[in-house]
Amino acid sequence: MGLTGALLPGALLVLWWIASDKGFLAEQILPPPAYVYETARDMIASGELFHHAGVSLRRVVVGFAFGAAAGLSLGVAMGLSRRAEDYLKPLFLAFAQIPTLGWIPLLMLLVGIDEALKFIVIAKGAFVPMVVNTFAGIRGVSPKLIEVGRALKFSDWQTLRLIVLPGAVPSIFTGIRYGLTHSWTSLVGVELLASSEGLGYLLVWGRQMFWLDMVIVAIIVIGLVGFAMDKSLDRTEVLIQRWKREELAA
Amino acid sequence: MCNPAHFQIRKVTREFNVNGEKLTALDAVSLDIAEGEFVTIVGASGCGKSTLLRLGAGLDTTYSGRISHEGKVVTGPSLDRGMVFQEPRLFPWLTVERNVALGLENSKFTKSEKKRLVEEHLELVGLAGFARAYPHQLSGGMAQRAGIARGLVNRPNVLFLDEPFGALDAITKARLQDELNDIWARERITMVLVTHDVEEAVYLGDRVVVMSPRPGRIRDIVAVDLPRPRERTSAALARVRTRVLESLNSTESKPSVGPRLVEGERGSKSGPLRPAVALAN
Repeated sequence: MGLTGALLPGALLVLWWIASDKGFLAEQILPPPAYVYETARDMIASGELFHHAGVSLRRVVVGFAFGAAAGLSLGVAMGLSRRAEDYLKPLFLAFAQIPTLGWIPLLMLLVGIDEALKFIVIAKGAFVPMVVNTFAGIRGVSPKLIEVGRALKFSDWQTLRLIVLPGAVPSIFTGIRYGLTHSWTSLVGVELLASSEGLGYLLVWGRQMFWLDMVIVAIIVIGLVGFAMDKSLDRTEVLIQRWKREELAA
Repeated sequence: MCNPAHFQIRKVTREFNVNGEKLTALDAVSLDIAEGEFVTIVGASGCGKSTLLRLGAGLDTTYSGRISHEGKVVTGPSLDRGMVFQEPRLFPWLTVERNVALGLENSKFTKSEKKRLVEEHLELVGLAGFARAYPHQLSGGMAQRAGIARGLVNRPNVLFLDEPFGALDAITKARLQDELNDIWARERITMVLVTHDVEEAVYLGDRVVVMSPRPGRIRDIVAVDLPRPRERTSAALARVRTRVLESLNSTESKPSVGPRLVEGERGSKSGPLRPAVALAN
């Protein structure tokens, strides 16, 4: 990727600078880049930015861990057992169609607006892609390889451990990546609605106070953190699946 | 080569249901394979040769008739019977040595014995330098070598090979045939190889089983009484090949013709001990 990927953000920055310099938009609505930069520096110096980013990250880590674990379990269960699929899949499909934000009113009444609400919403964001991809990964394992296992007298457990799960890993990893992205975006959503801390809260607060510089800082940080998470998962994936990446390169 | 009833297939019939229609893939097929023998099976596609192999390996158990291996009825796969598939079917996420080691997953060898066996068999198929490579880094021929090593590593006493060289280029194919011949000569493992390549069948087999399609039957069994290593271009081999081709062609044009016994076959020489043709219908 290198520098090519930085071209467009750079162009946007220039455009932003020109727009505010020429006064296309009122300064209150579109603060100049230099001003936003100073705000960011102040927020970093005061520790405010790290505090809110830390709160958000912690929520995502906890919520994602629960959601991904549950999604992995359900995906494996449905992938391995036709019966589990028959019982659970229709409900799951219906559940997956409802946007995360749609659950929030009901959830607020059930669990209040504290951390539990955020964890549930974030977990749900990770849950759906994890289930879908784990299920697809397990069902996608080559029957030919499973037959090799039969010829070698593999037990069910060996078949699962040596063929099905490793065979499903690439797909499960896709689930993790999508799951984390969904978790991160639903986090910001839920923090917008009900929070007194976190990056999403910064957005709401900034809007209410009409501190658009703060809003822009928060938006950029949200984007950067998401980008960094996806990038590091990408690296991990390359490391774990060397056999697969090299296949593409070859 | 002392036990003529090493592997017995008796009146084996296998039917499939294809869209509600009954399809007889194998019709009362009988074949005896002696210990240490190299049997090749040729036939047009749809003659049931791969079905027969899968039944022998125990991968398919819905048949009528009787299949026995060293006196025991085959009811499923066994570590005494190895299998090499047409596609090497290596696990892409495992290195070559770990792929081969899968063949020992359920064996009773100790860890160090397993390690030694894997090394030996990689050496045997000429992949010693590629133990740590991943399957995608191998050429088709190398991948198939790894597949053969996996089939052999557990020291089965019968190895079934289902068109193992079918997807390889001619040069690689010839080389692997020679290597397989060497392995067979050295290891003295009974081998049953299915192929659609007559040349390959006569080059490798002690006996060539010719099958005819719809329904799958054994049409002929041709003994190849030629010393090894064989000369691919020799006149003697060409004569056997012609015999097999004639047999195959007659199966195409006259599907109702009964089995033919040919003089000079090993089976008829050794009399009742080794029935060369046992076709029931």
